[in-house]
Amino acid sequence: MQFKNLLKVSLLALFCFFIVPAMAQNKTISGKVTDSKDGSPITGASVLAKGTTAGAITDVNGNFKLTVTSAATTVIVTYIGYDRKEVAITGGTLNITLEASSTSLNEVTVVSIGYGSARKKDLSGAVASISAKSFNQGAIINPVDQLSGKIAGLVITQPGGDPNQSASVRLRGQSSLAGGLSPLFVVDGIVLDDPSQFQNIPPDDIASYDVLKDASASAIYGSRGANGVIIVTTRKGSAGRTTISYDGLAGTSTQSKYYDLLNSNQLRAAVPALGALDHGANTDWQKAITRTAYEHRHNVSISGGSNEFNFIGSVNYADQQGIVINTDKKQLGLRFSAEEKALNDKLDIKAGIQNVSTTRSFIDYSNFSYIYNTPPTYPITNPDGTYYAYSDFNQANPVEHMQQSVFRAYEYLTLINGSADYSITNALKVGVVGSITRNNVQTHGFIPSFPLEGNVNQAGQAQENTNSYKGNIHINYDKTFGKSTLTLLGGYEYNDYLYDNFRALGQEYITPDQQDNNLSAGNSLFNKIYSYKQEYLLISFFARATYNYDSRIYLTATIRQDGSSKFGTANQRGYFPSFAAAYRFKNDLLSNVDWIDDIKIRAGYGITGNSDAIGTTTTLETVGPVGSYYNAATGTYPNAYSTNQNANPLLKWEQRKGRNIGLDFSLFKGRLTGDVNYFNDLTSNLLFNYTVPTPPFVYPSILANVGSLTNKGLEIALTGQIVKGPKFNWTTNAQITFVKTTVTNLSGVYSYAGQTYPLTAPQIPVGYAVGRGLSSNPITFLKPGYSPYVFYLPHYTGTDASGNQTFDGKTIAQNASPSGHYIDPAPKFTYGMTNNFDYGNWNFNFALRGVSGQKVFNNTLLDVETITRLPGNNVTKEALTNGIKDAPVSSDKWLEDASFLRVDNATLSYAFKNLSFANSLRVFISSNNLLIITKYRGLDPENKTENSSGGNVLFGNNLNGSSNQAYIDANYGGQAYYPRVRTITLGVNVSLK
Amino acid sequence: MKRKRIYITVCAIFLAGSITESCTKLKQNTYSVVPVNNFYQTPDQIAAGVAPAYIALQNIPDGNVNQMNEITSDEVIVPTRGGDWYDGGQWQGLWLHKFKPDVFVDGGWSDLNNGIGKVNFTLSILNGLAAKPSNYGSIVAELKVLRAYFFFQLTDMFGDIPLVTDYNTDPSKVIQVARKDVYTFLESELTTNVPLLATNVDKTTYGRVTQYAGYMLLAKLYLNAQVYTGTPQWTKAITALNQVINSGKYILQPNYFDNFSTNNDGSSENIFVVPFDKVNIGGNNWEMQTLHYSSNLTFGLTGQPWNGFCSTADVLNKYTDPADARKAQYLVGQQYAADGLTPLQDPQANLPVIFDPNITSLSDASGLFRMKGARNIKYHPEAGTSGGQSNDMVIFRLADAYLMLAEASLQNGDAATALVNVNTVRARAGAAAWTSEDVTLPNLLDERSRELGWEGWRRNDLIRYQVATGTHYFTGARTPAKVDDGDTHTFVFPIPSPELISNPNLHQNPGY
Repeated sequence: MQFKNLLKVSLLALFCFFIVPAMAQNKTISGKVTDSKDGSPITGASVLAKGTTAGAITDVNGNFKLTVTSAATTVIVTYIGYDRKEVAITGGTLNITLEASSTSLNEVTVVSIGYGSARKKDLSGAVASISAKSFNQGAIINPVDQLSGKIAGLVITQPGGDPNQSASVRLRGQSSLAGGLSPLFVVDGIVLDDPSQFQNIPPDDIASYDVLKDASASAIYGSRGANGVIIVTTRKGSAGRTTISYDGLAGTSTQSKYYDLLNSNQLRAAVPALGALDHGANTDWQKAITRTAYEHRHNVSISGGSNEFNFIGSVNYADQQGIVINTDKKQLGLRFSAEEKALNDKLDIKAGIQNVSTTRSFIDYSNFSYIYNTPPTYPITNPDGTYYAYSDFNQANPVEHMQQSVFRAYEYLTLINGSADYSITNALKVGVVGSITRNNVQTHGFIPSFPLEGNVNQAGQAQENTNSYKGNIHINYDKTFGKSTLTLLGGYEYNDYLYDNFRALGQEYITPDQQDNNLSAGNSLFNKIYSYKQEYLLISFFARATYNYDSRIYLTATIRQDGSSKFGTANQRGYFPSFAAAYRFKNDLLSNVDWIDDIKIRAGYGITGNSDAIGTTTTLETVGPVGSYYNAATGTYPNAYSTNQNANPLLKWEQRKGRNIGLDFSLFKGRLTGDVNYFNDLTSNLLFNYTVPTPPFVYPSILANVGSLTNKGLEIALTGQIVKGPKFNWTTNAQITFVKTTVTNLSGVYSYAGQTYPLTAPQIPVGYAVGRGLSSNPITFLKPGYSPYVFYLPHYTGTDASGNQTFDGKTIAQNASPSGHYIDPAPKFTYGMTNNFDYGNWNFNFALRGVSGQKVFNNTLLDVETITRLPGNNVTKEALTNGIKDAPVSSDKWLEDASFLRVDNATLSYAFKNLSFANSLRVFISSNNLLIITKYRGLDPENKTENSSGGNVLFGNNLNGSSNQAYIDANYGGQAYYPRVRTITLGVNVSLK
Repeated sequence: MKRKRIYITVCAIFLAGSITESCTKLKQNTYSVVPVNNFYQTPDQIAAGVAPAYIALQNIPDGNVNQMNEITSDEVIVPTRGGDWYDGGQWQGLWLHKFKPDVFVDGGWSDLNNGIGKVNFTLSILNGLAAKPSNYGSIVAELKVLRAYFFFQLTDMFGDIPLVTDYNTDPSKVIQVARKDVYTFLESELTTNVPLLATNVDKTTYGRVTQYAGYMLLAKLYLNAQVYTGTPQWTKAITALNQVINSGKYILQPNYFDNFSTNNDGSSENIFVVPFDKVNIGGNNWEMQTLHYSSNLTFGLTGQPWNGFCSTADVLNKYTDPADARKAQYLVGQQYAADGLTPLQDPQANLPVIFDPNITSLSDASGLFRMKGARNIKYHPEAGTSGGQSNDMVIFRLADAYLMLAEASLQNGDAATALVNVNTVRARAGAAAWTSEDVTLPNLLDERSRELGWEGWRRNDLIRYQVATGTHYFTGARTPAKVDDGDTHTFVFPIPSPELISNPNLHQNPGY
């Protein structure tokens, strides 16, 4: 009953609101609102007569018409992303131009903060935002490349030039040793099941990124927030005339650098009696496996709507060749999203569906080592056009292997989401969100039998399904009392994650042309099938309260309770609180200081978690097959069953306690803006497989929460409008980040059933040098007091008279296994800088990015710059002159300075104006990886900076180089480096009228 | 109206109840693995649950344990060829007796303890079953004797070891037990349980622990008693060996090599083997470890071998009788492709593949050095494989029993019995019979090398003979590079560092 009365009163008030002014004496004004830069009309801008409630919204052509009282003298024009403007009412038509706003503390910039949004100026946590106009440009196919080098604290590393490799995305250093390291990706409010899924989303669909950097901001994501959160907002339709836009680009890529291997004449000179090794050819095997790669990308989108309804639909197609033969990625994306408002805008319904189909073609990374091993005197093909065949340990024709082996994957990613929000009162809203994610990956493989190699052909297929069902119910309350504004949020969330796979393999096919299309046709003895399934639940409650006093003092508190079926029963639910406060000086203390537009200090504390390392059944005592035994009586090979693991029923999330203080500022009327953050985070309960004594334990390690590490850092981001004029503008964006990650402890106790067991790990071996004669000896370690993956290497001190290497003065003959020294490979700081120049219709933009103080172990040169490889394996020219005559030994000689400064991108564009057929038309030419300055002698200093495992493995081949070892650049086995590329791109962006 | 309100209230309560119940319940489904309480219910499950102890055995005859027992002896050497097989100096260190408590030594420790842990787990589960299987007694005896084999190897290699026989032992209270006490435990464990084992030698017991495998293990324990306790037990060893030899269940295979062939499960001589199979049970990579990169062309292998393990001329020179068939386990000289005519060439060194046992250095970058060393094809390479051969690998066989009996008898002053037994073995090999003057301990030790080369007993033999005679069989000089250090702390390996870390109660062996 009360509710109905309230409704009546509200409607009456609303009625009066509109009717009353109309009773006074009126005049009508009209005009047009345009962008000051290119003159394009601004649709949806708000025009309000000052001192009254009369207002209008501009139409698709930027026009408005407004009836005001005769007393009105000024209109106020506002639009998101533009500076507010007051214009005097004159007699005629008002032509109003708005300038794009540039202050980072802008009044109206809205930022997603997880389960809601806030105005940028009201934030109390460390949140960085970037919208489409500031994205990196050029040949962007992977959306994360839009962000690379742009945001302080965010490091995006492409581990090579393979279009099928995922980039690594890291925020504020490494905070886990066994779990995932990527920030959580949230797309339109939906948390992606696997952060790498985001890298399949077409970049043109993305409108903005909001990066929740500190724990006070990311704690609302609880046990998944420890690595930070990247909130992605996709493009939306807007009210107005339906617009059709097209974005397209086409480019070519080439390998950016080669190793200096011997050519045939150099080999003949180095080895006078080549004899049977000389087949008369001069093959550059590095170039034999590579090509000029073409890529093109197209995006057509249609958007439009009215006040109640808006939609956007888009189709994307991208075809990206890799520079190595037989590596390709083709992607078709379809997306549709719509929003409907109903019941007097009280009900807001949104729905979206996105489907991305990706076809990938891979090569086996272990084939890369053949290009370094094969002498250049071997031809690629015989005179009759067939492949020249040869075979030796770690030697085979790489072109033949890469061309004739088939590894393909078909991926189908579907994201469906819907939400409904209802405003019960102006202050109180309730809403529900639901989503379904399905990711299906089908892998196909066939390895033929190669002449002279004696191998049997193999075929296989694999299916993987990663599905999830997610939903939440939330309540928002937002009320202003005098100078105070209180915002409350409460919610419940349910997530169900499923994964299953199925794999079938066969071998010895007498009709190899059928490849993997008739798996049972081979030798039935070797037919193998596998399947697996797992599921876990994550059920949460969360709440947030923000308080704002007079836009000066801000307080935020959040709490989340996460319950996961993965956790041990004693620790099944965890609590993740956060607090933050901010103070804006401008509104009182500094209100008279002209050159300061705004200044705000912030401080925050929060607790976040990471539980990726915990498997779905790691806490449970389970049994499963552990291998086959022979039952001679029946002549069969049944499975033996035993316990799968040392179960740890106490497992829980890793806990990151984050502390952050920050300063945001805007000076000189927005000419200089920026922010500074200092953070000091402690991660404890680090999950790792700590060693335990066997017996009584059945397995030598147990996953337990024992260790700890710290991340400390300073981030500075600045944006300056260096030149601001009517025709020429120069804007610079720069950021620098110092992060130090230190493993502080790897020891502790693990108590179970009343007993306390010590878990001790003074140092844990992690990375190994690879290559012939280099196995079994770790070179990187986790060790308390050092950053993760600290090197422990013998110190190279030159060679003795006969060319034997010495380590701390002794040869290997004198000391077969010299002891090492600890050397920290982590970068001291990373930085990025973007310069943007506008001159009339021209725009020139270039982006620099660099890393300082990083070291990379050049395992490739350790192997290849070795004269003992001759004559049967090729070497670099340096091998002939470096004076080393004995076999390769891992030492600090190969741990090279891998600092670099890269011109990531340079783009020149021209925008046509005042076209009859288009709202806007822009053409550009762009180059990626234009230039790099580094002392590193490998193909590229930007390499693997952490360990990862798993990947797309069908027959045990490594198809994407994923068994990377941190800071180790290798060419052996599956750990090869896919060469980085330099790309030139031409492109066009057009929005049709 | 009132009824409607009640209806709504009931619905709301029901809804709220179902939310709090079903929407907050965190049940973990197990799809691909089985909760331990749901297993060990059927005879098939019991059989599958007992087998893991045998799976653990698959790592022993061609893994770190075998390598630690052979490369530390005069029988196998792994020289550094160019850059190949340097591996941080671990292989050179084994030959030179510069043992380090490293990851490699930990491999041997872990492989053996893995077996002990698996047996303890299974025994604990079986003990806890409400309804015991009908053959519970014999299963327990079999598992305990198998576990005794792992303990025997562990104490032989590491001396004082943790003697954990109960899965539910408090891990913080695991301490090392003195070697002589391990000996006492093993003697008691075996004399109690071996008589309970199966005596039928047929398909049902192939690859499993029988009474005879048990007596072989007991005989090994007694034969080495002087090493472990200071007191020899030759008579007890003879008694245990006679249980095997006099059972009549085994006869020497007429062709020595039939004991090791790809299809060696018909051997009448093998007492205890670890079955391997190219399809189902991987782990026998004999052909890969020893053969040259190009030898795949000789044997029809599907991949290039690794050119690693080999023997020096000293090993071949022990075959003084040219008629001795056993010398054929070593490959020397020019190698040929499968046609027997095309000489093999090493393409990378650009030299013919001529195996030369005269190894004068542990490390050499020359092309010629790649061909150094005699290669062992006792377990004949299997065409169509690249590792993962089907040859079942031998742990105990009758010829070893004869030679052990000969040794124990000679030590006991019964040279006549020694002569008969050693000649039985020699006769099968086609080697000339010994006369009574030939029956000496040094000759018996050489005979063991000829008969049992690369089978994993050489380190054990050399130490036992050194302890018995004082001659530096184990610690003495060897070509190449090994000097006579006379330092007996290397009789046992160091306790691996990872184990000292995971269990602070353990102490390092003397001298390390």
